[in-house]
Amino acid sequence: MGKYVDLHVIPRPDDAQSCERMAELLRTANYTTVGLTVATGLLKDRITFVRRIFEERGVSTALRADFKPTSRTELLRLLRRFRNLYDVVAVQCLNQQVATVSCRDRRVDLVFFDIANRNLRFSHTFARLLRGAVEFNLVSDLTAQDDPWVFSRFRKAIMVAREHHVNVVLSSGARNYEMVRSPFQISALAMSLGLGHEESIKGVSSIPSAIVTQNRKKRSPQYVEEGVKIVVPSVP
Amino acid sequence: MVRRYIRVKIVCDHKLTNEQFHEILDNASRRYFGQLGVSRIDPRIVRFDAESLEAIVSCESSAAHEFESALSLITSYAEAPISLLVLRVSGTVKGAARGRK
Repeated sequence: MGKYVDLHVIPRPDDAQSCERMAELLRTANYTTVGLTVATGLLKDRITFVRRIFEERGVSTALRADFKPTSRTELLRLLRRFRNLYDVVAVQCLNQQVATVSCRDRRVDLVFFDIANRNLRFSHTFARLLRGAVEFNLVSDLTAQDDPWVFSRFRKAIMVAREHHVNVVLSSGARNYEMVRSPFQISALAMSLGLGHEESIKGVSSIPSAIVTQNRKKRSPQYVEEGVKIVVPSVP
Repeated sequence: MVRRYIRVKIVCDHKLTNEQFHEILDNASRRYFGQLGVSRIDPRIVRFDAESLEAIVSCESSAAHEFESALSLITSYAEAPISLLVLRVSGTVKGAARGRK
């Protein structure tokens, strides 16, 4: 069985029952790791409580923060303050300026675009700048909108991503247990929208998994910088 | 014609009948892929367990990912929330049923 990861799961920390149902379904759907998106102001106890619900059901968790900055300055301030506290940092691009900086900044793991926003989409310019990965929240975006053009916009964004060989992360963006889908379904959705078979499988397995592993390594106390880590000599 | 067998879990809070489930599958395939798409997908129910809310459905092998996409986009039936979770995809009914409790 592969190691499947859904990096965008948004549980309601105040609703334990919904979190439990969500965790059970994620486990049934064969996910090994999920990216729990929590508000940056959420109390530590509450985060631990939600994480425990998922981990007790056999789903490993990675803490994720979603930033929605409106300007470059705000984005840089958020990254300075919160980067070290989260396993995964994602930026929802609301305007051109924020999208350019977040695609270029290596502290940003994922960028995603509001599919309903007709003025800003994942274009060739952003694909060329992108250092992290682009995320497509297939389930939440495709089921929330009644607009048939959403499919067309996804197709275009996927074509751009394929052309520039950028890393694509496929997530559900599930806000409740009814939006949980299995990795097979998410990869099938991406294939229907034009992504290749191999890329779509990587999008729910190796690419998100690598992001989590790399960031956990960076957050460990032994890590100094790329290629440098503290090695404690063993006592003879 | 080669077929794929898909084991699905139905996530909903009420009971469903075989006919209702058939209607759900048919509507979803028709909505997202049209009449021509339905004829290409050719969805069928192989097994349906109303108690455990699990089913094995089949489709044409060449249109398996389209069918899975249609299953993913189901969100409601008769104004009640419902979703389908694909648990296993196989080339045989036995393979699809494997690991079932």
